[in-house]
Order: sequence, then C-alpha cells, then structure tokens
Amino acid sequence: MTGAPGAVPGAASGAPGAASGATAPRDLSSAIVRFGALLRRHGLPVALIQVMDAIRALERLDLGDREEVRLGLRAVLISRPEDLPTFDRCFDEFWRPDTEAESSVPSLAAPASDAPEEGLPLPSAGQKRETLALDTWGEAEDEESGEPLGVPGVSDSESLAGQDFSTFAPDQLDEVFRLTVQIARRLARKLSRRRRPAARRGRIDLRRTLRANLNRGDLIDLRYRRRKRRKVRLLLLCDVSGSMDLYSRFLLQFVFALQSVFNRVETFTFATRLTRVTQYLKARSYRQALRRLTEVRDWSGGTRIGESLATFNREWPHLVDRRTIVIVLSDGWDTGEPELLATELMRIKRRAGRLLWLNPLLGNPSYEPLTRGMAAALPLIDDFAPAHNLAALRQLATKLTI
Amino acid sequence: MRPEIAKLRELMEAAEYVTDAPVAMSVHLAMSLNKPLLIEGHAGVGKTEIAKVMSRMLETNLIRLQCYEGLDAAATLYEWNYQKQLLHIKLGETSTRPLGEREHEIFSEEFLLRRPLLQAISQDSAPVLLIDEIDRADEELEAFMLEVFAEWQVTIPEIGTIKASRPPHVVLTSNRTRELSDALRRRCLYLWIDYPDFEKEVRIVERKVPEINARLSREITRFMERLRGMRLSKVPGVAETLDWAQALAVLHADHLDAELVQETLGCVLKDADDIKRFQAEVAKTGLAPFLPTS
Repeated sequence: MTGAPGAVPGAASGAPGAASGATAPRDLSSAIVRFGALLRRHGLPVALIQVMDAIRALERLDLGDREEVRLGLRAVLISRPEDLPTFDRCFDEFWRPDTEAESSVPSLAAPASDAPEEGLPLPSAGQKRETLALDTWGEAEDEESGEPLGVPGVSDSESLAGQDFSTFAPDQLDEVFRLTVQIARRLARKLSRRRRPAARRGRIDLRRTLRANLNRGDLIDLRYRRRKRRKVRLLLLCDVSGSMDLYSRFLLQFVFALQSVFNRVETFTFATRLTRVTQYLKARSYRQALRRLTEVRDWSGGTRIGESLATFNREWPHLVDRRTIVIVLSDGWDTGEPELLATELMRIKRRAGRLLWLNPLLGNPSYEPLTRGMAAALPLIDDFAPAHNLAALRQLATKLTI
Repeated sequence: MRPEIAKLRELMEAAEYVTDAPVAMSVHLAMSLNKPLLIEGHAGVGKTEIAKVMSRMLETNLIRLQCYEGLDAAATLYEWNYQKQLLHIKLGETSTRPLGEREHEIFSEEFLLRRPLLQAISQDSAPVLLIDEIDRADEELEAFMLEVFAEWQVTIPEIGTIKASRPPHVVLTSNRTRELSDALRRRCLYLWIDYPDFEKEVRIVERKVPEINARLSREITRFMERLRGMRLSKVPGVAETLDWAQALAVLHADHLDAELVQETLGCVLKDADDIKRFQAEVAKTGLAPFLPTS
C-alpha cells in the first residue's frame, strides 16, 4: 500500500493533512506526548528524548499502517524486553483502530483522551496500608542522606538490632532503613578498598612511562599499572510469598538499600513466579521504587521456589559467574517438588562464587529447617544465616567477600 | 508499509539475512534517524549479523569493537605505538636536533594506532560501527561511549581534534549479563530478538544451508522448536540449528532418524544434563514428537 504520509485520520480535526512528511501534525505530536505519559504511568521509563525521537520517527512511518506505527514506536520507546507486553497493551488501548473509517486500510485513530484511564488499572490500586508504611521509609532516606558514616550498632540502635522484624511498629521503620543503608555502605567500602593499586607491582605502563621520561635518553622512572580488581556482583533472589509476609517488606527494603550503594546488584522476587525487579529498584527513592514494584509483584500467594529457580536458570543463566555472590532470601516453605529445588540450586551453586541462604526464621531457637524444601537445599548452601533482625543482617557483612 | 522499508527488507534478504518486520523497522529507523541501535537477545539469534548485513547493504566498512571486562577507554580510541616510539628515540639519540622537534615527531600520525572508535570517525563515508557485547565492558566505558556518540569527535592533544565527516551507524549488542544504564538505553533504539518462529527459521536454514532438501530443513526446525520447549539449561540458538544443518548436509542426510540424531546430537545440545534429559524424553516418547506431524 502506498501510504500517503498526510493520511492521518486524526489530522482532520486540527492541522491540515497537507503537511506531507515534513513534520508530524501537531495533534499527533501531542498524542505521542500523552502516549509517553501513559507508558510512564505504567512503569516504563520513557524519557523526553525518546518522546522526541518518537515524533521524529513518525515522519518516517506509514501512518496508515497501524502495525508499522506500533513497531516503529516500540523501537523508540522501549528499552527492555520485559516492557514489551505493557507497551503492546498500552498501544492497543491508546491507538484504537479507527472503526468508523470505511477504507480497508486499518488506520490510526486519533486517541481518545479518556481511554487510558478507564481502560487499564493503574498500579496504585490495593495494598494501601502497606504502601503507606513503606512510604515513610522513603522519607527517612532523604533525611539521613547527609549523615556521616558511622559504625553501625551504637547507642540506641543497639536495642533495635536485637528485635525481631515481625514485631516492629511502623514508627520504628525509619531506623531500620537507616541501619540498613549503613550496613550496605559498610559492605561497599569493604569492597572498594581492595581496588587500590599497588605502587610497584604489576605490568609496566608504557604510556605513562614514556611521558615521564621524555627528556631522558633512557627509561629510568618506570610507571606501573595493575589490572583493576574485578568487582563482586550480587544476585538476590527474594521470596515474597505468604509465608514470608512479615519479613518480605523489610527484605525488599534491605535489597533496595544494598542496590542504592552497590553498582552491580541483580534482584529477582519470587513467590509463584519469578520477576526481575532490578530496574524497578533503581528509582531514586523507595517510594518511587515501590510504585513501580506494585505493578509486577505476586506477593503473598504460596511459594514455588524450585520452579522459580528453574525459570531463573533457564532465562538468566549468564547472570551468575564465579564472581557472583548469590543470596536467596527465603524461609524454604516450598509447595513444589523438593527434588526440583535441589537440582536447580545445584545448577546455581556450580557457577556461583558463593551461595548464601538467609532465613528469617532461623533466629527462633525452636526453629529447625524441617520444611522439605529447606532440607533439600541445606547440603548445597555455603552459608546458611538468619535474617530475622538487624544484628543478623549485620553479620552478613563479614561474609561478603570472595 | 513505507516503500523504503519494503526496499530495506529486500536488500536485507539479498544480503543473506532472513528478516522480519520488527528487525527491518529497527534498522530503518536507526539509519534514518541516525541513532545507535541496541540489540538484545539470547545467544545465537543473529544479533551481530545485523551489523554485518547493514555494512554489506550500505557498501561500507564494518568496524568492530569487541568488549570485554577491563577494556579501557584508551584501547577503544587510540594508543601510541610505544615500541616504535622508543626505537625512534634510540635511533635519534645522537641527533643534534632540538628536543621539541624530536618530540613532535614521535607524536605524529605515523606513531598513532587507531583503535575502533577513532577508525570509525576517520572514514570518508559513514561506516557501520559494531560494539559487540557491550554488557561485558565496565559501566565507565559505557559512559565514555555515550560521550563519543554525542559529539563524534576526538581530541588528541598532540595532533588536534578529529571530527567525523559523517557519523557512523552504530549497532550495540548485549547478552544481558548486566543491566545497561538507563542513559544508554534512552539514547538508543531498541530491538529485542527472540528465537525465530517456525517459518522464519525454515527460511533461515534454507537460505544458509541450501544443500539440504525441504523435508530435512522442516524436520530440523521442528526438532529445534521442540528442544527449546524443553526445560534445558543451555537452550540452542539459531547458530546451533545452522551448525546441525551443516553437519547433516556433510553427511548427505535427507531426513532425520533416531540413529542420525544420536550421532549428531552434540551439534545442538552442549550440556551433560540437557543430553540426559533429552535421552530420557526420547526413551519415553520416541522421536516422533520431535518431528513434523505431516
């Protein structure tokens, strides 16, 4: 089909369609802006530059060909495969096929301005109480950002450190966040200190040596360089299922704090299915991160650890190598097959630098890892540690080296 | 469909690349908007191939920068040929010419080693710059490249500023071993390549391994499709399909049978557990479910 660029049904209402190819009609441009906003509301990180590119891209697309417009906008506005389904849903909702047009060409309708709001549920629905409680953490983060680095666990915070997370009141949560960030920073310092190069070892740096000796006949003052220390990577697999309900909010918080300090942290949540949440946790504040998370989670619905790990091994095997510390945060209550859990965990262990399992129930002296899943996993784990309170998490700091 | 896109698909097919609408669209926009194209997908789905096809289509050079951990900015732009410089200094030791002049001499074009990014901007016509497996490089390099992409000019203190007359067409590939920065993603067009569907993969096999007959190519493709549906730890890509087809062509096979599959299984399954799992499956159901129904 020879799509004349001016043949935009929406153009009839405003700019004349004669603007053939030069610039996209004005109301079409503003529709793109609104479409970008819709995508953002659904958690897609669409930047202004991408919206501008989308408008430029329209000039190079056949606007009468809906599928072509979809693919074109997708190439510009999307930057992750996970975002594809959301994009397609939003596209279908926003750019409804023009049913009134009689032509056989399925053309692009001018978007109905109220369509998106009623059509798709926005992520703010439900779980309101929890959201509010978590919001206060985000504020705590803002307030404490200027605080000097101290050794965790002095004065008042000592009393908090021994307390079980399940008994925390909401007003104590800001303290929890503050301590977590401190731990995370301490971990980060510990790693970065090791990267300092030695002055007189390693390979000779010819570039700097030559510079330093330019006005001598010989190379006397040798300069060295050393391979930068390889960075440790963190992979977190967080159980957010019902049996972890009391803890998962805290643990997600912990993960968020780690991620805000470390560069390379990959985070997945699982209950019945596995979700990569790394990019959702890259938001500036916890509140922002949570808003994005509400879209993807399947919190509190039973656990299939084995299958979740299997999904991980199938889809993301390359995220684990010998420099990766894998941390599973779970109580081991698994409704799936323990054999599957053991096999999949073995797969991870074979490739990982270290495999840790943090269990929020271990702090209780009466707890013994008797759940079937846990029993299957235990022999494969390098470190099995409690994660029931801050004192326990702080101990994690001593283990985070390879 | 815009005629340019139809034309592009023709050109890509002519350049031995079996394409589909999303791929053609991304390449079309990358070239016409002059933006870098970021391609992600599983190993062996043909990400790198796109850059090669683009260069063949545009009849221009392909400049490749293979990323690895620890790759630093200097190694991507330019370096001085130190050995040659040292030799030159030694040879000229007895010279009475002033120091400044001698220094100027060893920091001239003759001693400059152009690395891929500098090569890419000092071409007469815009080349295709392939930055392969960007996820394996460090974050710092990613930021550095963004800077280069923004200006397309490089300043070498001793020589001056080199600016691209035509900015290169950039293709970046990633296997997602780490999440790339949002800044990079924002500046690139994005293409996710999944495993091809049945018809597309048949076309790829027929195009790349013309020696085998239509029946065998459909059998191979169906077989691969089934394999990918199993829960394998190393899922075979299109590259494996083609390896296998090639092997079968050498063996002059005209259809798949149990014996042949066993003999050539190593072409597609490369993990002991996967092979075990496959054998168990075949022992249970036979080979039939892996072959086309007709």
